[in-house]
Order: sequence, then C-alpha cells, then structure tokens
Amino acid sequence: MQMINSNPQSINWKVAGRAGEGIDVTGIMFGKLCMRHGMNVFAYREYPSLIRGGHNTHQVHASFDPKTSQQKHIDLLIALNEEGISLHKNELNEHSVVFCEAKQDGYDIAKYQDTGATFYDIPMTNMSREETGHFLAQNVVSLGASAWLMGLDIEILKAVIHDAFHDKGETIIEANHRAMQRGYDYAKEHCKPIKETFAKKENNQILLTGNHAVAMGAISAGVQYFSAYPMTPTSEILSSLAAQQVNYNLVVKHAEDEISAINQAIGASYAGARAMTASATGGYALMVEATSLAGVMETPLVICVGQRPGPATGLPTWTCQSDLQFIINAGHGEVPRVVLTPGSVQEHFELTRLAFYLAEKYQLVVFVLSDKYGLESYETMPRPADEYHNQRYGLIEEALPSDDSYRRFVVTEEGYSPRSIPGQAHGLSVTNSYEHDEFGYATEDAQMTKTMNEKRHRKIKGVATEVPQPILIGPAEADITLVGWGSTRLVLEEVVRQASTVGKSVNCIHIPCAWPFPVESFTKLARTAKKLIMVEGNLNGQMESVIKQETDMKFADHIRRYDGRPFYAEEILETL
Amino acid sequence: MTDNQHNYISKASLASPYFPTWCPGCGNFGVWTAFKNALSELQIPEEQVVIVYGVGCSGNMADFNRVYGFHALHGRAIPNAVAIKLANHRLKVVVVAGDGDTYGEGLNHFISAMRGNHDITLLVHDNQVYGLTTGQTAPTTEKGTKTKSTPFGAPEIQINPIGLALTCDATYIARGFAGDIRHLTSLIKQAILHEGFSLVDMFQPCFTFNKHNTYHYFKERVYNLQEQGFTADNKVAAWEKTYEHDKLPIGLFYQDPHSVAFHKTLSQLDEKMLIEHSIETIAMEKAVSAFR
Ligand SMILES: Cc1ncc(C[n+]2csc(CCOP(=O)(O)OP(=O)(O)O)c2C)c(N)n1
Repeated sequence: MQMINSNPQSINWKVAGRAGEGIDVTGIMFGKLCMRHGMNVFAYREYPSLIRGGHNTHQVHASFDPKTSQQKHIDLLIALNEEGISLHKNELNEHSVVFCEAKQDGYDIAKYQDTGATFYDIPMTNMSREETGHFLAQNVVSLGASAWLMGLDIEILKAVIHDAFHDKGETIIEANHRAMQRGYDYAKEHCKPIKETFAKKENNQILLTGNHAVAMGAISAGVQYFSAYPMTPTSEILSSLAAQQVNYNLVVKHAEDEISAINQAIGASYAGARAMTASATGGYALMVEATSLAGVMETPLVICVGQRPGPATGLPTWTCQSDLQFIINAGHGEVPRVVLTPGSVQEHFELTRLAFYLAEKYQLVVFVLSDKYGLESYETMPRPADEYHNQRYGLIEEALPSDDSYRRFVVTEEGYSPRSIPGQAHGLSVTNSYEHDEFGYATEDAQMTKTMNEKRHRKIKGVATEVPQPILIGPAEADITLVGWGSTRLVLEEVVRQASTVGKSVNCIHIPCAWPFPVESFTKLARTAKKLIMVEGNLNGQMESVIKQETDMKFADHIRRYDGRPFYAEEILETL
Repeated sequence: MTDNQHNYISKASLASPYFPTWCPGCGNFGVWTAFKNALSELQIPEEQVVIVYGVGCSGNMADFNRVYGFHALHGRAIPNAVAIKLANHRLKVVVVAGDGDTYGEGLNHFISAMRGNHDITLLVHDNQVYGLTTGQTAPTTEKGTKTKSTPFGAPEIQINPIGLALTCDATYIARGFAGDIRHLTSLIKQAILHEGFSLVDMFQPCFTFNKHNTYHYFKERVYNLQEQGFTADNKVAAWEKTYEHDKLPIGLFYQDPHSVAFHKTLSQLDEKMLIEHSIETIAMEKAVSAFR
C-alpha cells in the first residue's frame, strides 16, 4: 500500500466547522488519543467571533518529540462544512488529506483541487444517523476514520471515547463506539493511510489548557476563595474552579462585576483565606483601584490576567501581549508587585502555585500574566504529584499579648509583618486604605508616610530572590538568540528545534517573571549572545523597553506581531 | 503576658486612641453612640466582629473604634464584607458607609448583596449629601436642591433606599434616626442578630453641608412605625410606607422570618468555616483525572 508522504514523526490534524458541532470535544478526544500513545501534544484553537456561523477550529500537533506550538501545514483536515475547507485552503498542500461531506453539504470539491490535497467525501452524517439515530456523532465517525489514516490504535480511541461519555451511560457509549468503528472501517476500505502505525510508549501526561493549569495550580496551593466575572480568555478558570467546589474546600463566586470580584478576593484574604481573582485585561482594568488597596493593606492576592487584543473590547477571542506595561504599572500610588509570565501549560501550573506562596509570604499582589494563546491552547504536561503540601506564612500561631500591644503593620527589615486575622484574640487592628501607622490607624504624618512606603517596598528585595529566572533554551551558543516572555516561549522553543534541522544556529531566552525584572540573570545569559532578537506580541516592544530600562542591553532586531494571531515557528524561522 | 482569652465588647473596649473629627453636632455622633451601645449590649467577644467602613465622613469612624476594622475603598465595602463573612461565617460583619458610597458609587454591590441574602449588616449614614467631599449632591438629595455640584438644583429624583431594598428581597429592612439613639440602638441590635442581609438606613443630619434636612426637620416629621402598630411582615404594606413624605416613618419596615443566609446554602461550609480547613495536604486526583 502506498503511503502519502508527510512527516512520519509527527501528526498535524485539524477539525473545522460550525460552533455547536462539537469541534472542541472532537479535538480534545483526538489529542488524548495521541497522548495515550505516549506522544506530546499541543492544540491550538480558533473561534473567530465575527465570522458567520461561528467558525471553530481545533488543531492538534502531536509527536514523540516535544511539540509546543501549532504548525501551518495540515496532514489531515476534518471539514465539517465548506468553510472548513475554504478558510483553510492555504494550510493544505499535496501531502494533505481532507475529510469532508461535499455532496451532502451541496458544494463541489473540484474547486479546491488546486490545493493539491487528497479529498475524501465521506457521508459522516449519514453514518452517524445509521449507527446512533442522530447526526451529532459525525465527529466520532471522523475520529474513527482519522485513527485509520494516522496509524493510531483503535482500542485506545475506544477507551478515550468511553471516558469522554462515561457519565452519559452505557447506551450512549456503545452508540459512539459503533459510530467510531463505522468511520474506521470506511476509511480502511476507501482511504490510504498517511502515517506508518505509531508505536506506543509509556507516559504519564495529562492534556489541558493554560486556564485548567492555573485552576489546578491554585487548587494545589489550597485556594479557598475565588471570585471573578466572566471574560475571554479567563472564563475557563472560573468554570473549572466552580466545578471543583464539590471536591475541595473552596468557595467560588461569580461576582456582579470585576470590581466586586477583586474586592471579595481581598476581603476573603484579609479574613485568612487563600484567595484569587482572574480576568482578561479589560476586566482587570476595572480592578486597578483595588490592586492599590491590596498593596497598601498588605493583603496577599493572586490575580490571573489574560491578554487579548485591545484597545477596549478589541478582538475578544484572539491573542496578544500588549498589556505588560499596564500590568507592571497598574495601581495608583507606588504598589509593590510581582508579575509572573508563564509560557507552557506546565509553567501555568507551577507559577500559579508559586504565586500563592509569594503573595502570602510577602503580603503583596502577585500577577499571573498570560494571554489567549497560553490560556486557551491545550498542551500535555507531566501529571502533577498526587499530593501537594503547603505551609502558611505570616499568620500568627501563638497567643498574642494580652496588653493589646500587637501592631499589625510593625516596621520590619523584610518589609512584611506578622498578620493577625479576625477571630484571633488580641489581634485587633485597622486594615486601612488610608496611609496608616503600625496599628493601622490612619495617619498624615510625613515621617510615617515615608516609613510605610519604604517598608512596603523592601518586600521587593526579598521576593526578587525567589522569582523564577530567565532560562536559556537550545544550544549554549548560537548565532542568533531570540528573547521572549509568556506564551511566546511555546513558539520560540519550536523555532529552536526546527532551526537545528535546517542548519541554522538559534537559541532562545524565555523570561518567566517580568517584575521584579531579573536584571542579573538576564544580563548573564544575554551578554554573550552574538545577535539578540526580541520577539513579542505587541506594537511598541513593551518587554524590550523594560529590558532597556532595567539593563543596558541592546537588541539587534525585533519581531513583533499585533494582529491577534499567534506567532508561527515557520514564519519566524524564515525571517532569520 | 499573652493569652487566648477573649474580652467581650464594652464601651471601654471600643475606645480607640482617637476622638472623632466630625463637625460638632454632626449626626454621626448619634449613630456612633447607638452603634456602640448595640455592640456592647449584644455581648460579643471583641475579636468576633469585623466592621468594614466605606470612605466618607461616616467611614472615618474606622479610627474611632477599637475592633477588627477594614477601611475599604469608596463604594466597595460591601464586596469586602460579603467575602469576609464567607471566609469566616462565625464573625459578625457590619458595614458602615455613607449614602453616596452605598446608593451611588457602590449601588451594584448593594443590590447584589441583597439578592444573595448575604449575612451582613449595612448601616447607611443617610445625610442626603456628600459630606467628606464638602457638599455635593447625593443619590438621596431631594430633586431641585442646590448643592456645590448642582448649583441650579439636583436634576434627578432621589433614590428610595427602602423601596429598593424591598424590590431586591432584602430580608431585614429598617430606618432609624440619629436623633433617636435608643430606637436606633435597638434597630441595629436586631439587624446584627438577623440571619441574612440587614439594612438600617439612618437619617443623619449634616449640619455643615445640608441646611435643609436638619434635626429640627426630622424631629417634626419622623414617627415610629411600630408605635403605630405597623407589623413588618408585609412587603406591599411596607412599600406604601416608603412613599410617605410629609411624615417620615422610622422603625422596621420588613423582616423575613424564613430568611436563609447565603453561607447556609454552601455545603462546603456545613462542617467548618472556610478558613478552618487545613491546606497543608491537597490531594490532586479529583482536579487532575479529567485531563488524562
Ligand atoms: C473612587 C473614589 N471616588 C471619589 C472619592 C471621593 N469621595 C470621598 S467620600 C465621597 C462621598 C462621600 O459621601 P457619602 O458616601 O455620602 O459619605 P459621607 O461623607 O456623607 O458620610 C467621595 C465622592 C473617593 N475617595 N474614591
């Protein structure tokens, strides 16, 4: 049997169709099918909110080698309607295969022949009806057919489908298994496979989005109160945590607005709970005043912010990195803060976990700053430990002096002070939005104002020693060193890998903490670079400015993108 | 000496090192006295009360009470209070705020807290003017009143706080008067004891910036609902009372005897307070299993 020639080591698969056709569910099942073979998976989702019919795509890139971003060229496209082809013509070539239902949908595939792709017009909807009595399982038919074409194990797919529908009952599971088998058998009879049979390797990974990872990181850190107002791309944190209220000692509140959301989180934190809020930057903009409140009150607070293109409502379902300067500076008065910038899904988990520790220990605001691309893409990561252990910081365990001499805001060298919480005898104090003395009473005294500002800012010195440092990815020495932060890491890693296969010498530096900026370790990594190129998702070079401001480093060049789309490794590589 | 023994709130325990900065004769003195009376009479351990203050002349009370105090942002005391209660539902949580703070800047929070029947007590210092910012119109200012920000007369119809609370299904709705401390004390006490959201809107004369709604003005007009035999168990009857303007009813307008507070609807809080649960060891299986 003749194989169609595409990279045998990796899978690039995409499903496209109307919202409501189960695009994401299909994509997640295909991703898990690959993961359970032992592969690494990255899945990129698009749901352009303004295109007619709510066109959705879910694109899975999988391989036994690391895969951290999507790729333009598609091996197998499942087009559940004509737009599924017409909007993705440029991603097809002579190695691509397309599953579609042209006859049933009433269009002629002939007009797409110039792509060079192989088209199979498969009556997926009819097969679904015959096997399940309903058209909805057409996507499961397509998964069965995909498994054959991609050389994937049908038994693993069977298990994935079983798990996906396990709470719907045996009848539904069996119907879906029939639909899957029908697609598989059809493809076996009519289609040429495009991959050798994939091996299976042990692995212990999970497949999830950045949002899921933030929620999971928060749970691992013992989050007790989460309040938010829905806004893409962080709504999934709210829904994930809301669902976990049955499993963990956690209260999740969909607040009446973002201002309430952050003020609730601050209230809960003040009362001794580990608390967090999240929003897109537009929603976060409403939280700015309360960021300053948390700062002056020295109340621990974790805020996850998801960037999407602005200004204003902008492009709600697309990505960008245009709010770094805003987040570094948000909050009136001089508010100490930490801004963590995770890239991979695993980093979203780890840095959210870290954020709770830093916020509580240093009694300040810690941002987890990400974007649509980082928060809504799926990626595999090693399964987290079965248990996580958390210590509490800054809370007073022992009895307080009965002469009521306790001072909540006692001036210390490290900048933070032991914290009493309501309910604790002899810990009475005012926690004040006004400038205050050591007891918390409001003051307008010049010396006290100066002292308190300095006290709060001393925290930065300590916290700077505990934030994650820039990392070098790829060869220790290279002709070109790309620098990125946040989700751009995902693409830069891919660039570095692809560069080595085409004989280009490229490495990259990823910055996982934007503030306090890690001057020393960044300088150490960047100093010896032959040619530094900054890659970031905004117009004005916001991280580049931070680096220029904080170090004396100069960049030879920069690559910027601000059209709502993520970077593509192939495109970056071409420009180098 | 250290100890875990608690002291009960008393007038002495409430004394902070600072004395009010309010103008002489300010209605806030009457409210303050009634509030302190109520807290002392309720016999609550001093560490079991949190007072969340708005920003305004009213909120400046934060420095004059020795309690667990939280001096919030202007308009935002309610969300802070709601979450403090959910984090530790054994606490009594009281909000002290102005009418501008509550019915203007923070109106959305006011409505939401009532709809949720959060178990907090809201004391609104209703002086029908912005005090701290020196005399602009408030949501409660009578239409046509000239103020610093409305030199040709306030253009909007004044808000009806009691009526608003009724339509939002608040479960304890009362109005007091800073000039009747005994009565106000008892309203505040009942409000704190009520399980669910309680509002006490308080006529509070502002000598300096509101020359119209004075002590004399209120003394001539207020009458005690309960003394007239009004029973606070009928929303429609209460609603009608909110439209009396020649005479001004004070007292309890409505109380729902079947009130179920928000925190009572959360099974996570059945056994313990949220903050009593240890976070030392977190088992991940339930958070992870769906992603395999
Ligand atoms: C966000 C914000 N806006 C405006 C102010 C200024 N401000 C302080 S108090 C106040 C209004 C005070 O009126 P009210 O809430 O009725 O309280 P009162 O002083 O009358 O007790 C205003 C507008 C502020 N502190 N914060």
